Amino acid sequence: MSNSNLSAPAPAGVVIAPPAEDHLHSYPKFLWQAIKDATDGSWWFYAWMILLSTIALVGLHAWAVQVRDGMIVTGMTDHVSWGVYIANFTFMVGLAAGGVMMVIPAYLYHDREMHDVTIVGELLAIAAIVMAVCFVVVDLGRPDRFWHLIPGLGEFNFPISMLTWDVIVLNGYLLINLHICGYLLYTRFRGQVPNPRWYVPFVFLSIGWAISIHTVTAFLYSGLGGRPFWNTALLAPRFLVTAFVSGPAFIIVLLYILRRLCDVKIGDRPVQILVNIVRITLLINLLMVISELFTELYAGSAHTASLRYLFFGLHGANGLVPWIWSAVAMGIIAAIMFLRPRVVEHPVWLMIACALAFTGIWIEKGMGLIIPAFVPSTLHEIVEYQPSMVETQVSAGIWAWGFLILTVGLKIALPILRQPHPEMTESQKNNSGDAAPSA
Amino acid sequence: MALVLGAFLWIGGGMWLLVKEASAAKAPAGEVATATGSPAAPAPVAAATPARSRSVALSELPVASAGVAEPKVLTDQIDHHGNPVMASCSTCHTTRKPNFEAGHAALPEEFHQGLEYAHGTLNCLSCHNADNYDTLRLADGRELAYDNVMALCAQCHGPQTRDYNHGSHGGMVGYWDLKKGERRRNRCIDCHDVHAPAFPQVNPLFPPRDRGAIEQKARDAAHAADAEH
Amino acid sequence: MIDRSPPSSPTPTPKTGGITRRTALKAVGATLGAAAFAKAVAPLTEWAANESVDDFLQKHYRELSPVDMALVLDRIVKDTKEDYGADVEVRDLRPQEGVKLGYALNLSICVGCRRCAEACHVENNHDRPSGNSYIRVLEMEKGSLDLAKGNVNYDGPVPKSDKFYMPVQCQQCDSPPCVDVCPVEATWKEKDGIVVVDYNWCIGCRYCEAACPYHARRFNWSKPQIPAEEINPDQGYLSNRIRPQGVMEKCTYCLHRTRDGRLPACLEACPTGARVFGNLLDPESEIRWVLENKRVFVLKEELGTKPSFFYFFDE
Repeated sequence: MSNSNLSAPAPAGVVIAPPAEDHLHSYPKFLWQAIKDATDGSWWFYAWMILLSTIALVGLHAWAVQVRDGMIVTGMTDHVSWGVYIANFTFMVGLAAGGVMMVIPAYLYHDREMHDVTIVGELLAIAAIVMAVCFVVVDLGRPDRFWHLIPGLGEFNFPISMLTWDVIVLNGYLLINLHICGYLLYTRFRGQVPNPRWYVPFVFLSIGWAISIHTVTAFLYSGLGGRPFWNTALLAPRFLVTAFVSGPAFIIVLLYILRRLCDVKIGDRPVQILVNIVRITLLINLLMVISELFTELYAGSAHTASLRYLFFGLHGANGLVPWIWSAVAMGIIAAIMFLRPRVVEHPVWLMIACALAFTGIWIEKGMGLIIPAFVPSTLHEIVEYQPSMVETQVSAGIWAWGFLILTVGLKIALPILRQPHPEMTESQKNNSGDAAPSA
Repeated sequence: MALVLGAFLWIGGGMWLLVKEASAAKAPAGEVATATGSPAAPAPVAAATPARSRSVALSELPVASAGVAEPKVLTDQIDHHGNPVMASCSTCHTTRKPNFEAGHAALPEEFHQGLEYAHGTLNCLSCHNADNYDTLRLADGRELAYDNVMALCAQCHGPQTRDYNHGSHGGMVGYWDLKKGERRRNRCIDCHDVHAPAFPQVNPLFPPRDRGAIEQKARDAAHAADAEH
Repeated sequence: MIDRSPPSSPTPTPKTGGITRRTALKAVGATLGAAAFAKAVAPLTEWAANESVDDFLQKHYRELSPVDMALVLDRIVKDTKEDYGADVEVRDLRPQEGVKLGYALNLSICVGCRRCAEACHVENNHDRPSGNSYIRVLEMEKGSLDLAKGNVNYDGPVPKSDKFYMPVQCQQCDSPPCVDVCPVEATWKEKDGIVVVDYNWCIGCRYCEAACPYHARRFNWSKPQIPAEEINPDQGYLSNRIRPQGVMEKCTYCLHRTRDGRLPACLEACPTGARVFGNLLDPESEIRWVLENKRVFVLKEELGTKPSFFYFFDE
């Protein structure tokens, strides 16, 4: 993927250690360099980081208050016992899975131009997974008892509890992506050519793993017989499809930002591939929404109460109705926009389309998925839910934290991204030691 | 020949029916006697639904039935101890002839005013004993002490008695495991006024105070207000 | 790495001995950031002051030796005295052999007085302000078992002639969805049929609350507040001891009473005798008689949860 041409001068701001140094010395240097990269930049960079840090600190404080005073400071009740935290968690897992969507064309189809930018997707995956884990931690009533989840140390109800599967696959996905990104950045730092054997298998593993994280998360919900809104076979496919809308949409925007603000030369092909993916997945998602609506409403059984609450309101409770219809509208508009070549070729319109698609999915898969399953309750009581100030602050704080991680990651990876697409030289092919296709 | 056969079948069938009925009457006793093995257990059903030829003994009744005193009437006299003088039923009722008409159609006017009566189409002397007003009477005329009033309820209210004896009617406190302790049960009369036995309406306590219930209430009120317009 | 320094000139000034203005500002920024961080997490230190190391390190219920358990019970008694000012006795009762507890409710007799719900509130040391109870009584329309037509907020003299009343509590299912989903095995079904929660093991993820089809589980959204004189001192480790903040709880068929052979509090409070409780494995028990002789049904049978709580009508 990243081939540093040893004979060419390194781009500015990057220290390259002599290849002969052992890892014990070069790894700490790499880490220190990463820290320096992360805390050095332009005026805009500092302003951005300060803003994010402030929001993150506000969120952290709100969470500390929540731990001290109990979750009564949230808007959740015994009727609606999961709220905006789990909603965001669900969305984040999807975003992480979607981030790896770029990997498939790059590695499965040997698309060279995609290779340059797959690291963007993987960095997004890391940030999103960290956010997802944070959202789960803040949702716990007793976060101090996290060690009860560690197999061997605590009691791990594997394989029966789907949450344990989720813990395994999310942490595994994080480790895989950390390894891939870390390895590529580290070898780049050492001025070496990455050995495909050390990352290509992991890349392929991450493709399958990305599907699994979101399927497992969907099974968390769809396995509950007492919640008919979730107890549908369509849930896992919907999760995957919406992940492959939100992930690529976000990456398209990211790539444009990198191009415009960070002086990274990215060709049009990666964006084009992503646009093609979003075109299809947006339409499939719309089809799935229509399928759900028809299936639930045609027969008119009592199990449809949650769906009716979401789309039409139920006995005077209609808090989510404007939200879901906005999400549907955004999805339709985005789908139409993505199909029109003039929109796709025009950066600003494309950004708007991506923003619409992303926000629509966030509403539909976040609040539009979690809350209706609790309304009406299992005893058919209707209790609505609204996030409290504490919840909003904590959620904003975690979003800021995620953006911080993403920014830092991209900043460290900029040298790789700034390099023009390399042609592998003969000497580099010899250096890498095997005849694998150039990464 | 046909006549003899017919008569034989007729008599045989009748006898078969009689035998079946008699064994059915015994069956409850057989069931419940093994229901609980403890000496403190509620007594067998057979005692509460008296068989035709058995008399009802106190020891065979459910424990809770014990301790029902015969009612006494308050007079306005005070005795030399300072206690109010109570008159037993027979004090007045031996001075006059029994009125077999008094009952659901003709409530007593002169005395027993304020008695609320809503117990079907029975007359007073269906249950009260005209021969001895200090006792009650069963349907077949046998005398019944006030102590055993539950037998009187049982003779008409079979299903409830059956349920009571199987623990599914009437409140109780104590132990489910009668090997470890005993149980105190409500008697019929602890909940049911004998003259107007329908269980009264009560005001429910302890309304739900959680946010959900309060929200629901507000929404229902708003809904109802909207529906009116 | 929280950088609060304003942008400075990129060229270092040699006069300061190699430390640029940018670096100095970064150091100031980092210090300010650390201070802000400490301020932000201050509530956590307040919270941590109330927790003990023993509490944090306590093992799962099933791994506690009798000595460990005695120490745990001791600690709970001391903590209750400290936090609430009440002297309590906490016992760890084990299930009895040959016992499987079952509960039946007579819908023909229940008048909807909610005394059972109140007794539960008092017996189980529930948080007073929220009026929490494991029992929720629904006023249902005669002729329909549709829970959607049920109403929890009924008032006025009961029973109303066109309604019947259905209390709902934990069904102690034989195939409990809540047990399946718990990631740390903090909840499990005991040998006598009761589904219990180890309050000192639960991490408060509320997955079980999402999984339960009967609205039977409750979460401690805050630390329970109960005046000392109202605390029921006869407590069980797995049942009605005062629960900590942030953990799940549920009806335990009053196991601190029923494992001693006593009737549960809700049954004792019921004035009409609509509740029947006993050992399903004893063929001569009242509950068995009800199951064999009455028209019995369970809620949401199609979900396959196999409840141990039965409803029946007399006619």
